[in-house]
Amino acid sequence: MKDLASRIQKALESAPCWMEARYHRRRSHSLQVQKGLVKQTKANLTSGLGIRCLVDGAWGFSSTSDLSAEGIQKAMRQAVDCAKSISQMKKSAVPALPPTTLSQGEFTLEGYETLEKMPLQQKLQAALRAESEIRTASKLIQTSTCVYSEQFEDKILITTDGAHALSRLARNEIRLSAIATDHGEMAEGQQTVGRTGAWDCLFTEHPMEEMGTTAAQLAVDLLKAPRIPGGLATLILSPAMVGLLSHEAIGHTVEADFVLSGSVAQGKLGHTVASPLVSLCDSGFLPQLPHAGGSLLVDDEGVPTQNTVIIENGILKSYLHNRESAAAFGVAPTGNARAWLYQDEPLIRMRNTYVQPGNQSLQEIIESTEEGYLVDCPLGGQADATGEFMFGAQKVMKIEKGKIKHMYRGATVSGQAFDVLRSVDAVSKEFHLDLGAGYCGKGQPAKVDAGGPYLRCQATIGGVQE
Amino acid sequence: MTSLNRETRHLEEAGSQLISDAFKAGADAAEVCGSYGSKSKISLEKQDYHLAASDEGYQFGIRVLKGQRQGFASTNSLNSKELKEVANRAVEIATFSPENPYFSIQSVAESSSAPTLALWDPTLALTSLQTQKEWIEHLRKEILKDKRIRLNEGSLEVGKSLSLVVNSKGTHQLESETYCAWSLMAMAADSETLTSFDYFSNIARQSARLGDHIVQTTARFREALLKNLKTGTATSYKGKVVFSPRAVLDILIEPLCYHLNGRVILEGSSRWNLQTLGEQVLSPLINLKDTAWLADRFSCGTFDREGTPTQNLQMIEAGVLGKIFLDHYSAKGLHQTSTGHASGGSSSLPSVGPHTLLVAPGATPFSELMRQTNSNTGALLLVHRFSGQTDPVTGDFSGVAKGAEWWVNGEFQFCVKETLISGNVFECLSQSLLGLSAETSIVDSGSESPAALIDGISVTSG
Repeated sequence: MKDLASRIQKALESAPCWMEARYHRRRSHSLQVQKGLVKQTKANLTSGLGIRCLVDGAWGFSSTSDLSAEGIQKAMRQAVDCAKSISQMKKSAVPALPPTTLSQGEFTLEGYETLEKMPLQQKLQAALRAESEIRTASKLIQTSTCVYSEQFEDKILITTDGAHALSRLARNEIRLSAIATDHGEMAEGQQTVGRTGAWDCLFTEHPMEEMGTTAAQLAVDLLKAPRIPGGLATLILSPAMVGLLSHEAIGHTVEADFVLSGSVAQGKLGHTVASPLVSLCDSGFLPQLPHAGGSLLVDDEGVPTQNTVIIENGILKSYLHNRESAAAFGVAPTGNARAWLYQDEPLIRMRNTYVQPGNQSLQEIIESTEEGYLVDCPLGGQADATGEFMFGAQKVMKIEKGKIKHMYRGATVSGQAFDVLRSVDAVSKEFHLDLGAGYCGKGQPAKVDAGGPYLRCQATIGGVQE
Repeated sequence: MTSLNRETRHLEEAGSQLISDAFKAGADAAEVCGSYGSKSKISLEKQDYHLAASDEGYQFGIRVLKGQRQGFASTNSLNSKELKEVANRAVEIATFSPENPYFSIQSVAESSSAPTLALWDPTLALTSLQTQKEWIEHLRKEILKDKRIRLNEGSLEVGKSLSLVVNSKGTHQLESETYCAWSLMAMAADSETLTSFDYFSNIARQSARLGDHIVQTTARFREALLKNLKTGTATSYKGKVVFSPRAVLDILIEPLCYHLNGRVILEGSSRWNLQTLGEQVLSPLINLKDTAWLADRFSCGTFDREGTPTQNLQMIEAGVLGKIFLDHYSAKGLHQTSTGHASGGSSSLPSVGPHTLLVAPGATPFSELMRQTNSNTGALLLVHRFSGQTDPVTGDFSGVAKGAEWWVNGEFQFCVKETLISGNVFECLSQSLLGLSAETSIVDSGSESPAALIDGISVTSG
């Protein structure tokens, strides 16, 4: 890595403009076990260099897997040619990037070497055991699946204005799925977890066996669960669901590129957008949760990541920025520029997004709920620039007169993000960051995490009408 | 044929080396899927040009068998030493992986029925950057003809690629293509209303009249966005809804494909099995075909991820299950023959998936479908895009109907906001399916479908 960094640094000395070189090597492994059979064991290696430049107010980008001095020079020339090709067509030139704090040195997140040293064979044996746990949990289980994947990321980020960062991190995730059948009915239960770090980090909150039996039990319980009635309702969202709300409903609308395109958060800085009980952050690294799935110390523009307070006590405080958008707003970049592979240009992306905990216990919140639902086990979601969001939940429990009653089949929850946040009237002290094995899609995938406390709010359930 | 002679040679040589190295490392059989791609892309952002980019590269994946043990490794390197390491890694993985009786690498004959597809256009392959700039300027100007459009992002990409599948049993398939792909993501805004984001993508493999094609598709997208500015509030009800062709494909046909997937049938998670073939499983109105031979669609080619020739298949005819999607794995497990539906790229193991799905039209003009009303509301919801969850196992779906339209007596009234729909895929495609439109639409240069009138859908207004 250091030799290559020197070669890239030397090449950049001849750059005719502001230029950024990002080397990215990703090694990944993936295992899939189903009904006692190994369906997939694979290893992937992708490496190359992405060159981005700013010429005459226009961005140019070129990527190559040829890391020879000639290959790097060729990519640099192509990036400059690309930028020049659109510079005359741009209506509004990108101004020179203002100086900012840029990372220099080596940045390694804990767990990389430990995970690397653990043989793939050992991980495969664990996956086989996990799948077996699901299969034997109930006679109603028809199909049981365990998927494990891990990625080792090595990056070099050098810019002509001073960034020189070598970073390493490892991410892993496990997905457990159970499909139960009974008298023609079918239902699926899932449990997933994704972390940055070693193998053991996956199971700090729930042992693998417990995750498997939970997935199986959920599938069996869902077999006989009725469909939920649709309409506006009082919901207690679990930490994972709050994570999805934070990410989908709020996080995307405050990404500065969406803001500049006219998202609902445009012009709202300093305004009250949520209940005073709500404080929302996006962090590259949380010392108290070092293995959060979206952790990174340096972003893909060389900016140190930080804890960005987006909403503080209900007031919108900050958007999420890369260097270009930060310059446009006259603020410091927040370290949110991320690229999936070396062929991709960095985009504004979230990392670990969460609502800060409150003072009540979950039990107190349930007991003070006359009628509503406890919503858990996220299934993914989407949001719009308007702030309209939707996310799916596998498990919805009815609450009546302060007590949890029966389970409904999974449902979709929707609403207008800021309206839902304004409706928050209870926030628990229990806090988890466990979005699971989730990726965010925005043209490119990005590994993210999210979470928070239990939170009571009003939103619409997409259920049945009579 | 192709003018990518040097790149073809590199692909072929790397493929041969990988198989040779795998055998030296102890493999009993090996298959290489390789690809080469070269592309240049100009992107738009926030009403303006954003970035121009270029990329060129190779990708190789090698699948090996040692007895019934399988290993796979992939790389984007052409370097001989790294290729050898990748072959060795695949064999090493196979060595410690447990046996699976369904793994196989097979010889496949070249198709006798596949047509010659017009996937390569020498003119498009030589497109200059200047021409590419003219095309994207057509795109930008057309979408921004109305000042109420807010362009979030868009791009126009011109590229050429090669795909190779070769294995130690004698399979050898090579195909090249050129393409121009364009896409936009935008919303519309006036003084009081901000619409949802909408998105479209299109592809062409021939340069002839491409500028006109870009303008026409973009104009249609712009007009659909502007229609969303007239908003109103729906009334919650349970009853009849019309699904647009996009909604039919996204909400109903995509989960249906889960149950037609040979691997899902093999594992017992499909509601259907081999015994169901020939049985009435859906409404007699449903006719579903799959093809890989339409050159103007994204998923097109004469062979699949395992080198098996593709074919036209009538999956469902008048509601009767006719075929299922099979790759070699599922075919071996089910004692069948691959249908040429192994999917995936060079860096992934084969899975199973459809190519281009064609839902046959019905007999009712679309305008007549839209004249239907629900007695409880006096209106009818037309669903276009769906932002929600479909459980492929149960078929239950629930989510937001984006940009859905509220119609009364065959007349458009307004687009609804914050409106959710829920139902069940199999009920929708069986007893609840009341009619299909006589007109069909191609969605995002992919599958094609008519609109569908469906009863029993729950509509919840937020």
